[in-house]
Amino acid sequence: MQRDLGSFPLPPALRAKLIACGFQSAEDVTSMRATELSKEVGISNEEALEVLQIVRRKSSGEESQLSVGLPSFRKCTALELLEEEHAQGSIITFSSALDEILGGGVSVAKITEICGAPGVGKTQLSIQLVVDAQIPECFGGLGGESVYIDTEGSFIVDRVAEVAQAAVRHCHLIAESGRDEAQQEAVKEFSISSILSRIYYFRCHDYVELLAQAHLLGDFLAEHRKVRIVVIDSIAFPFRHHLEDLSLRTRLLNGLAQQLIAMANEHRVAVVLTNQMTTRFGEAQSSLMPALGESWGHTPTTRLILRWEGKLRFASLYKSPTHKEATVPYQITSLGFRDVQSSEPPSTSPANPRKRPRTDDQDGR
Amino acid sequence: MVILREGICPGATAQLIQALKEQNVKTVVNLVSADIEDLAQKCSISYKTLVAVRRVLLAQYSPFPSNGADLYEELLGSTAILSTGSQSLDKLLDSGLYTGELTEFVGAPGSGKTQVCLSLAVNIACELKQKVLYIDSRGGLSSSRLLQLIQSQVDSMEEQSEALQRIEVVRVFEVHCLLDVLQDLRASSARQATGAHSSVKAVVVDSATAVLSPVLGGHQVEGISLMMQLARELKTLARELGIAVIPTRISVEFDITSCGTLGSRTAPSQPSTGDRGNT
Repeated sequence: MQRDLGSFPLPPALRAKLIACGFQSAEDVTSMRATELSKEVGISNEEALEVLQIVRRKSSGEESQLSVGLPSFRKCTALELLEEEHAQGSIITFSSALDEILGGGVSVAKITEICGAPGVGKTQLSIQLVVDAQIPECFGGLGGESVYIDTEGSFIVDRVAEVAQAAVRHCHLIAESGRDEAQQEAVKEFSISSILSRIYYFRCHDYVELLAQAHLLGDFLAEHRKVRIVVIDSIAFPFRHHLEDLSLRTRLLNGLAQQLIAMANEHRVAVVLTNQMTTRFGEAQSSLMPALGESWGHTPTTRLILRWEGKLRFASLYKSPTHKEATVPYQITSLGFRDVQSSEPPSTSPANPRKRPRTDDQDGR
Repeated sequence: MVILREGICPGATAQLIQALKEQNVKTVVNLVSADIEDLAQKCSISYKTLVAVRRVLLAQYSPFPSNGADLYEELLGSTAILSTGSQSLDKLLDSGLYTGELTEFVGAPGSGKTQVCLSLAVNIACELKQKVLYIDSRGGLSSSRLLQLIQSQVDSMEEQSEALQRIEVVRVFEVHCLLDVLQDLRASSARQATGAHSSVKAVVVDSATAVLSPVLGGHQVEGISLMMQLARELKTLARELGIAVIPTRISVEFDITSCGTLGSRTAPSQPSTGDRGNT
């Protein structure tokens, strides 16, 4: 098969030289030896060898592992994929209404984006998710580890400990009432210290660090095979500051998104990104929209928008290829991210709609 | 521009090729456009040999023209129209998707492109009972959703699983991977040329922009060349194999007066490949 040289991932300088000497297709190159090629084109022997390696590997017609760092593609039928999907779990959010509209929880191998105004609960939900990913399998969780990439500095360990404690207590209650042996075994290992020790925390101060971290994340996930969720909180912050060139921003974001989805797919992790909101000025009125622009809107597979409506908080599924749009109320308590209980009054007191209520006793602590 | 090599045609001996190389005639184009008499004198090769070689090369490498009537007959015989499953969409597309052509779906985020692609794939697999290759670069494909769509068309479990087996899924997240997949498809179709009933009838690419946008724009010059490579691959695939190819593209708001061209993604020098208004 005649395959054009332009479609191979060759270094641009080499490719320009090859084309200038009249080499157009893969056949032209593979028929020569490395020494001949280096003489013809005027490149070093090592470069000629590299070119031959790349071209031969790609045009051999077989799938090659680790060819120049690119993963080989895998074809499967939709039926096989269905079986895989059934075997995969999802990460629950401890809010059953939200889990329902998401179809069981945050799905693995997809990118989920959580957008919202400041203080509405994005970081709280992310913290809840990194704890929930570690819930043992016999309780309906994934029993995995978590990665938290923090760009805003909003990861407070005390809060994580609180949420972890609530989750541990919840599992203990289930194990005691259930009398399932497996559950009782599992719950012995599920403690606050074990949860905290399995959250891998990275702090990135600007977009360059974030991009570097994303590059290194692939190797990290290959080493730590039990990671099931990667949270980036938030992805908007480093890209909205100190980045004037908008087209560069779009390119970087798209490249980052492709890397993340490739990683999510390869290592079977759920990727959760938090985004901020921005105002869009229309003809007559302005509206609140997720930040980072419209082209970013195509990237995440699922989008959740958290917003205030008066004193209550609502979560809406804004974009999803598998479930229809829906809105559910939720609340943030000292135990974490929870459903709104219809009998109780909402946790945020009427005079004080803040993310952490000032008076502690109304949370029932 | 094919390079002259020994054995490229009968009469092209190593000696001949070497002599021509010394005169700076390295490719077929150079030989065909050179003055044969002059060349024969300089290389001290017989005029007859050179003319013979040139004639053979011309016959081998030049394309043959065909007339309109033949082309029409050929198209009538080879083009099939695949219904999309939605009557209004079929009407818009002039009764459906034509094989041998690219049909592109463009839309804003959340407008339903992935859903259209899924329904197309399901329709072709269920109703028309043909194979579909679904290339997913965004992770938007979920088999449970495919099953949901199939279940609305077909009742028995057996038929449903058969339909699912006719949809082949490949996940690629990088442009070179995508080109590999398309090449692989061409190669495998060439190999099983006789098994027409088992080959793929439609290729859905969701979405082409996802793999191209990281390489387009700025100071990168290869982005455009990769985009054109991809376009050429898709078109050749459609024409050669007689399949319908369906890429999807995202749309970004832009100001037509400032851009001058349709489609902000094809104008890399314009800064409007970014988004306006939103920071």
